[in-house]
Amino acid sequence: MSIFYYIAVWVLLAFSFGAQEFLPAIEFAHQARVLLPPVLFFCSSLSVSFPVMLIFAFFTGFVWDARHLPYRPDKVKFSDTSEMAMNGHAEKREHSRGNLPPGYSIVLFGALGTVMQGIRPLFKRGRWELPVVMVGVATFVWLLIEYLLMSFLRSRFYFPEGLWTKITTDALLAMLAAPLLLYCLHSIARVLRFEARSEGLTLRFHGS
Amino acid sequence: MKKINVIALLLFLAAVVAIFFFVDSPTTRGFQTKVMNILSPFIRAGAVTETEVKHAVESPLDPGELRRENERLQQKVAQLSIIAEKYNSVLDENNKFRTLLNYRQQTPLKLTAARVLRRSASNWWTTLIIDKGSLDGVGTDCPVITESGLVGKTGKVALNTAEVMLLTDEECRVSARVQGTQIKGILSGERGDLEVRSDLRLRFIDRMAKIEPGAKIYSTGDGGVFPAELFLGKVKSIQMRDVAAEAVVEPPMDFSLIEDVFIVQLETGGP
Repeated sequence: MSIFYYIAVWVLLAFSFGAQEFLPAIEFAHQARVLLPPVLFFCSSLSVSFPVMLIFAFFTGFVWDARHLPYRPDKVKFSDTSEMAMNGHAEKREHSRGNLPPGYSIVLFGALGTVMQGIRPLFKRGRWELPVVMVGVATFVWLLIEYLLMSFLRSRFYFPEGLWTKITTDALLAMLAAPLLLYCLHSIARVLRFEARSEGLTLRFHGS
Repeated sequence: MKKINVIALLLFLAAVVAIFFFVDSPTTRGFQTKVMNILSPFIRAGAVTETEVKHAVESPLDPGELRRENERLQQKVAQLSIIAEKYNSVLDENNKFRTLLNYRQQTPLKLTAARVLRRSASNWWTTLIIDKGSLDGVGTDCPVITESGLVGKTGKVALNTAEVMLLTDEECRVSARVQGTQIKGILSGERGDLEVRSDLRLRFIDRMAKIEPGAKIYSTGDGGVFPAELFLGKVKSIQMRDVAAEAVVEPPMDFSLIEDVFIVQLETGGP
């Protein structure tokens, strides 16, 4: 019955992109909010096999980038004095290399999903403490890497105080949402008689 | 590692490489537009729900006060209609004289009014969602303005909604000049809008240039995206950098309070 569980989780993931648009942001935490599709992906990584996790990572990353990455902006010409003063910089800016490439989220989700696979045995045993913490950590790491990548591409590292407020609040909200999502996944697994096998990448777990 | 896991990993990497290196910009834009179209009903419904909840939570206003407010606004509308009528007739006359004098006619601006649905759910990009899309003739990279000045430009466009990248975003750059001078530079915002109220930066200006705090900044129209003479803000201070100077500019408005905007559609003017 594994295939039905995988399809159910995939439908949930797709639906979470729509549900995300209904979730409000916290103004004072620089628009931090529950980032539902990534959090659901991190939770579902605990229950599915490695190849299926990669498929989910691809789907989540692809749709996330399509929804959230801006179009590559058109060039803005420099003129007169500014061009004379900054000719080298002007060329760089005209090609707009500061944007993250579409597809980068797929790589990040794939890498973080692989880390989450390491605690699959805990999902099987119905334990939620460490998975919830790990979902928060994964969200924090994902957002931080995203910001660092953007800073690297724009050739300027800049860490305002609001950055840490936003990332930490996002991670805490992810940890709040994670138990509910894990419970949903457990319920779906029970209804569809899906047994989360815990072979992981290298470890095998034989406990109950 | 199991053989199937290795195969899955290789296929995954191949798919990622294909996206990075073989999917060109128009294809990516096509995917983004499709996803925006699919999610557009959710975005609109989410905005309506948010507004309804806000209204339900807010304390109810006095009906008498609302009636007086309505009367005041109706008077204002009537007054502005008269001014607009006069303005249009003066504009027509002006254009007629320009044609008669064989001047190159100024490019007319076609404005489309739009309502801000909500702030977008993106992590690092400061964007708004408006209720007009490609069905209303809105395209990508159309300037978006209010009566106070430039707001930003359109990004992803769906059938009934569009995303507006705000002037406060680092990636929204405008070719700008200081009023009454020949000093030019590039105006852009800060990354992620992570300050309480972000200032703008006028970069790449001549180190020898003399700019007084309070000087007004306008678009030059050089970049081809934004028309000239749009108000962009006022200079707060000047900072010297390694190669060029940089002016800290106060934005023309509080972007979190914007409710209605105009999308500028540039039309090619006749001779």
